[in-house]
Amino acid sequence: MGYRSTFAGIAGATTLAVIAAVAHAQEAPAAGTIVDGSLKGKTLTFVSYGGIYQDGQVAALKEFVDKSGVTLLNDGPTEIAKLQAQVESGNVTWDVVDTADLPPYVHCGKLFQKLDLTKIDVSHIPAGQVGECSVPAMNYGMVLMYKNDAYKDNPPKSWKDFFDTEKFPGIRAIDGSGDPIGALIEQGIIADGGSVENMTPADIDKGIAKIKALGPDTIFWKTGAESQQLAESGEADMVMMWTGRAMTAVKNGAAYTPVWQDWMVVMDQLTIPVGVKDTDAAYALINAYLGKQAQEILTEQTSYSPIHNEAQPKVDASVAAFLTNTPDRVKQGYQQNIKFWVANFDAASEKWTALMAGN
Amino acid sequence: MNQTIDTTTAGGSDPRPAGRAASEPRRWRLADYPSLLTVPAILLLIAAMAYPLLTIVLRSFSEPEWSLQNYVWFFSTPVNLTVLARTFSISAWVTIVCVIAAYPYAYLMTTVGPRMRLVLIMCVLVPFWVSGVVRTLAWVILLQDSGVINSTLKAIGFSSIRLIRTQTGVVIGMAQVLLPFMILPLYSVMRGIDLRLVQAARSLGARPALAFLQVYLPLSLPGVFAGAIIVFILSLGFYITPALLGGPRSTMLSTLVQSQVLSLLNWGRGGTMGVVLLVSTFVLLAVAAPLMRQRHKQASRS
Repeated sequence: MGYRSTFAGIAGATTLAVIAAVAHAQEAPAAGTIVDGSLKGKTLTFVSYGGIYQDGQVAALKEFVDKSGVTLLNDGPTEIAKLQAQVESGNVTWDVVDTADLPPYVHCGKLFQKLDLTKIDVSHIPAGQVGECSVPAMNYGMVLMYKNDAYKDNPPKSWKDFFDTEKFPGIRAIDGSGDPIGALIEQGIIADGGSVENMTPADIDKGIAKIKALGPDTIFWKTGAESQQLAESGEADMVMMWTGRAMTAVKNGAAYTPVWQDWMVVMDQLTIPVGVKDTDAAYALINAYLGKQAQEILTEQTSYSPIHNEAQPKVDASVAAFLTNTPDRVKQGYQQNIKFWVANFDAASEKWTALMAGN
Repeated sequence: MNQTIDTTTAGGSDPRPAGRAASEPRRWRLADYPSLLTVPAILLLIAAMAYPLLTIVLRSFSEPEWSLQNYVWFFSTPVNLTVLARTFSISAWVTIVCVIAAYPYAYLMTTVGPRMRLVLIMCVLVPFWVSGVVRTLAWVILLQDSGVINSTLKAIGFSSIRLIRTQTGVVIGMAQVLLPFMILPLYSVMRGIDLRLVQAARSLGARPALAFLQVYLPLSLPGVFAGAIIVFILSLGFYITPALLGGPRSTMLSTLVQSQVLSLLNWGRGGTMGVVLLVSTFVLLAVAAPLMRQRHKQASRS
């Protein structure tokens, strides 16, 4: 092959690639786009965690339902074990499922479909949050709240202080609601003088040992409501809390202050299970959900942070104080090493469970 | 199965061979086959109990592959054994507390007048109708460090005591939730005891304590055993109360099962834990059974 023809070949290939890229760009409708009457007569089942959260999600999807003509059914709460039973029996009735942050990574391709990004517009989602099998459903944080009168002039400023029981005595309360909290184990490793750059499974033990060293009085709360109750009654001196619960506790009069340095980024995920009957309809729902307006409604109704970077929800000051998508908060946030925790999920869970069971 | 149902409901037809029917034309009646009445219950038990249980047992051996791997894992992981032992010891404590609290209460129910008895029964039943979660949360408010009990103690000059997130707290909460299961069987047995027997013992010279110990107590033991078994077995599977009132050192086996199944999707290991709990309960009951039977005989003789 001569020089000329090679060049022509490359040029041809490039042209094709450009055409393909343009075609793709055209294919992916902008987030929030809804085609009128496109899903008339179809039914979608949306599964989430209930309460005001799911109510807010349904409100955010109202325009999608009205315009597309789809019948939206709601179910919940999300349980991966239930989904697994559906996928295994070949009878999947959940079309779009809101999950916690790790499951879509752990079960990607097995329980959750790999997402076709030409069907949804992910360009407005915060960096690094789109997974192979998931897009975020909203953002929130796990923040360290300390009791004002426990540490008057010298309050804790970081997770390092949280782990320092000599300088900062007092009862700690930790998220013991289920899965291991990778970010806290990582902070334990850092407080222990280690590094999380190249974590190995052996480091998990170090982080867990650091949590255990907080002492026998440490509280492991089981539900968000319990964490809120711990703050409102003043039971614990430092409480690791979900931002939504922290906000409500403060609103209800808990005299606690958040430490924003290295607040832990947490998100819910939207997924499409393997084996759903109408994948395209599920994509249409997700794409509508990712829209700017839908995200504003979601935040206004639930106080969770939007995952559309241009969303400007109208919220009062107490809610705004705990939103995690402002430029300052984005800078202070700490993102756990998702890859590591997915790869070591079983080992971490086993060790975390042993910690929870007092061993 | 279909045939029996058809014939019992249709009633008129006689499907049996002519040889027998010739002697006397007979209609099929449900009353002749009283065991048929148990069919709905048996079907329900098979569908809702036997089949799922079988699946759990099979999966405990078959996942991820056919072997004893899950059982080897269970018995070689210290946390499982600690928690299993703790589950039994907490259940035993709950049973003891229930017996001690329920016995005098049930006795009182048999001695008071009908109106007072109704009040006592309502006191048992009304909390029974309230959801266990609500009652457990009420205990959180009572037991926590800044709760009602501790603030009262502090107000009258004592130092506060740690109740919530301890085994004591879990036992208190569980005993309250389970108390009706102890009181009701006890009451139904005590109601049948002829109090004149105690009077007779006393008229023959026995002191009140002796009359109680030798006459009344043995007669009431069947109720104690019935209640104790129900409370003990229900305690073994408790989930919400230990989760809300307990700390790491009062985690029970159900919590471990939950984390294996719901967060790890490890149905095999979760099933193994269930099977181990079930089998150890059976073993314990088998050991306790002869003991009870003997006492029953003794009670009926006296």
